[in-house]
Amino acid sequence: MAGGEFFDRTEFVQYFRDETEELLQSIDADLLRLEGYVDAKNPDPEIVNSLFRALHTIKGSAGMLDFAAVQQIAHKLENVFDLLRKDRMPLTEGGINLLFEGRDVLTALVRAAIDGGEAPDDAKDFVERLDAFAGVYDETAQAIEGPRDGLDDEESLEPIDDLAVAAFQADVERMLAAAQAAQPAQPAPAIDAGDAQAAVDAFLSLSPVASVPAEAAVQPAPRAWQAERPTSAAAAHDPKRVAAKSQTIRVDIERLDLLLNLVGELVINRTRISDIAATLGRELNAGPDRGTASLAKDLSESSALLARTTNEIQESIMKVRMVPIGQVFDRFPRTVRDLAKARNKEIRLEICGADTDLDKTIVDEVGEPLMHLLRNCIDHGIEAPAVRETRGKPRHGTIRLNAYHEGNQVILEISDDGAGIDLQRVRDKAIRLGLIGEADRLSDREIIELIFTPGFSTSDQVTDVSGRGVGMDVVKKNILRLKGVFDVDSRQGEGTTFTMKMPLTLAIIQALMVRVADELYSIPLDAVIESQRIDAGELRTVHGGEVITLRGQVVPLIRVGEFFRLDAPRDPDKVMIVIVGLQGRQVGLVVDSFQGEQEIVIKPLSDVIGRIPGISGATILGNGSISLIIDVHSLVASAYGGNGRVTRAEFSGV
Amino acid sequence: MSDSTQVVSFKLGPEEYGVDIAQVQEINRMVTVTNVPRAPAFMEGVINLRGQLIPIIDLRTRFGMPRAEHTKNTRIVVTEVGTKRVGMVVDSVSEVLRLPLDAIEPAPDMISGVDTEYIRGVGKMNDRLIILLDLAKVVTNSERRELEAADVESAA
Repeated sequence: MAGGEFFDRTEFVQYFRDETEELLQSIDADLLRLEGYVDAKNPDPEIVNSLFRALHTIKGSAGMLDFAAVQQIAHKLENVFDLLRKDRMPLTEGGINLLFEGRDVLTALVRAAIDGGEAPDDAKDFVERLDAFAGVYDETAQAIEGPRDGLDDEESLEPIDDLAVAAFQADVERMLAAAQAAQPAQPAPAIDAGDAQAAVDAFLSLSPVASVPAEAAVQPAPRAWQAERPTSAAAAHDPKRVAAKSQTIRVDIERLDLLLNLVGELVINRTRISDIAATLGRELNAGPDRGTASLAKDLSESSALLARTTNEIQESIMKVRMVPIGQVFDRFPRTVRDLAKARNKEIRLEICGADTDLDKTIVDEVGEPLMHLLRNCIDHGIEAPAVRETRGKPRHGTIRLNAYHEGNQVILEISDDGAGIDLQRVRDKAIRLGLIGEADRLSDREIIELIFTPGFSTSDQVTDVSGRGVGMDVVKKNILRLKGVFDVDSRQGEGTTFTMKMPLTLAIIQALMVRVADELYSIPLDAVIESQRIDAGELRTVHGGEVITLRGQVVPLIRVGEFFRLDAPRDPDKVMIVIVGLQGRQVGLVVDSFQGEQEIVIKPLSDVIGRIPGISGATILGNGSISLIIDVHSLVASAYGGNGRVTRAEFSGV
Repeated sequence: MSDSTQVVSFKLGPEEYGVDIAQVQEINRMVTVTNVPRAPAFMEGVINLRGQLIPIIDLRTRFGMPRAEHTKNTRIVVTEVGTKRVGMVVDSVSEVLRLPLDAIEPAPDMISGVDTEYIRGVGKMNDRLIILLDLAKVVTNSERRELEAADVESAA
C-alpha cells in the first residue's frame, strides 16, 4: 500500500486543522470588528483584507487536500469580501449576519472534511442564499467591469497546476532547510556558543509559527496563493516527498518566553566577554603583566557562565521539543479502519494517553514501528469475525493503543484481543528455517523471542498489510536504537501485547502533589488510580502489615512518611491514601494530605546524592521550592524488600 | 603569580579551611534546603539555585564534627568539581587569600576532626593555619559512603 503518501496526507490534514482553526478564530474576531462598520461608508480596508486573506488561505489549503465543499464556501465568502474591498457592495446588517453564518458553515464543513463526516444539511441552503445575496452585486460589478475572467475560479477550483506545485515544493524545501538548521535533530552534547546564538537567532526569526502573525499583519494581500504558502509550507508536504517529516511544532508561548529570557542572558554575557577581551588586548599592548591575570580570570568566569546559560538553552529547547504522542496516534484510526476493511475484519481501535508528552525525535521515530505493530495486530492478531464468533469472542476485535509516563520513561503499549502468538507454529517455522533443532526444548518466552529473528514471519501468505521483508526484527532494532526496551506478551487465544519503554531525559508530567511531614512530594499521575480518605478504624493488619479493603479487594498500605524515615506522626482519626497501580496490582500510599494536581518538569537528582529508594528526581515548583518526585515502583519494591517486582506471595498472603 | 594560589577561606568551628578559588562558583546565604529522605546524614538536601538543583553537603557532618545551628554567618559555598556542582554549608566565609606556594605544607598525618585524605595541604599565613581541601575527594568519597550506606541498608 502507499503508506508513505498516506502519512503525508494525514500530517497535512493535521496541519490544515491547526492552521484553519487559527484562521477561523481570526475571521471571527475580524467579523466582530467589521460589524462596527455596518452602514458606514468606509469599512476599515485592513479588516476586509485580513478576512479576504484568511479565506484565501483556507481555500488554497482545502484545494490541496481536495476538500471541495470547504473550498467552495471559502471561495464564495472570499468573493464577498472581494466585492466589499473593491467597494462594490455596501456593508449591511443582513450582509454581516450572512457572513457570520458563513463562518459557522465553513467551520462545520472543515470539521466534516477532517473527520470524514457528513457535510451539514444547511450548507447547501446557505450557498443558495449567499449566491442570491452576492449575485446582485456581482452582476452590478460585471456590468461595470465586464464578465469576470475565469482565472479566479480556475485557480481555486481546478486541481493545482504543475507550476504552482513546483513553487510550493521549492518553498517547502526552503522552509525545511531553515527549520533543519534551526532545530538540530539531536541535541548536541556540547554547543559552541556562537553556533548556539546563530541557531537561536535562526530559530526565533525563521520559525514559521512565530512569524505567522507578523507576516499576516504586514503582508499585502497576496494575489497568487503560492505567495502565502510559506506560512503553512513547513508542515505541508509535496506528495512526492515520501520520507519527509513534519518540521514545525506548535509550542506553548511560555516555553518560548523562557527561551527568550535565556537568550537575553546569553547576549549580555557575550557582550561582556567581548568587552573583557577588548580590554585585555589593550592591557597586553600597554605592557606585560598589568592586571592581565585578573582579566584572564574574569574572562574564564564569564565564559563559564556563558557555557551554563547555553546548557540551559539546550534544556529549554528540549522542552520546546516535547510534543504529544497524539500526533502519531492521530494517524491510526483511519489506517486501522482501512486495513481492517481490506482484510474483512471488524476492528475497534481504542486510544489512551494521546496527550502524553515526549521528545519530538522519539515521536517522529516511533511512528513506523507502531504502525508495523498495528498492522501485525490486524493481520496476524485479530481473527476473522466468523472465527471469533466460534471462539466465543465478540465479532469485532479490539486493539488498544496506550501511552503513559512511568518514572523517567514513556511506555507505549499496543494490545489486541486476537489469537495470540501461535507458539507451535513459531516453533515449527523456526525448525524449518534451521534456527533451532527439532529436539531443542524452549520456554514459551524463548519461542516468542524467535519472532525477532531477521527474516522470520509466521504468516503463511504474504499480504499487502504486513508485507514481507520488514519484520519484527526491524521493529525491535528501531526501538533499541531509540534506547528503548521492547517486550512482547502473548497468550494463545487471548491476545498479544507489545510494550515499548522509551527513555526520557526530560519529561513534563502530571503529578498529584501530596504533603508528607511538611514536605511536598509529587506522585506521577500515571501511577495513581485514585485517592481515598478513610477512617482510621477501617485499617486492618495482615501479617503485621496494614491493609484496607477497597471494593472487596485487599490493598496493602505503605506509610510514605515512615518509609522515608520522616517525623510524620500518624493521624489517629483519618488516613489519606493514594492508591497506585503496579503491574496490575494496587498498593496504597499513606500521606498526610492531598495538594491537588500539577504539571511538573522532572529533574534528576545529582549523582552526588546517589540513588535514593523511592525517589526518581525532583521538580521546581512555581514558587521556587523543590518537590521530590516519588518513584512508585522503587518505593514499593524497596518497601517489600524486592527487586522491583511485587511478588504474588506478598499480595496473596493477605 | 605562578608561585602563589588563591583560595576562598571559611570556618568550621575554630578551624579555617580553604578551597581553590577556581572551584568556587559563588557564595550564598543560607536558604531553605529541601530534605532528601534516606540520603546519607551529611547530605543536607537540595536547593534551587536559579532553576538548577544543587545538592548540599553539611561539611561539619561530612567531617564528623557535631552539627551547628545555622546563624546569620552561615554560608553555602557552591563549588564546581569536574562537572558536578555541590553546595557546602560552612559556619562562615572569611576571605579570599593569596597563598604563596612555599607557604603550603603537605598534610600532617593527623588533623583533629578531619580525615587527612580530603586534605591537599596546610597553608601557613602569619599565625593562621589554613587547611586546603581536595574537593574532588570530598565529593567522590561522599558517593562511595552513600553507596556503602545503601548496601548496609539493603543487607539489613
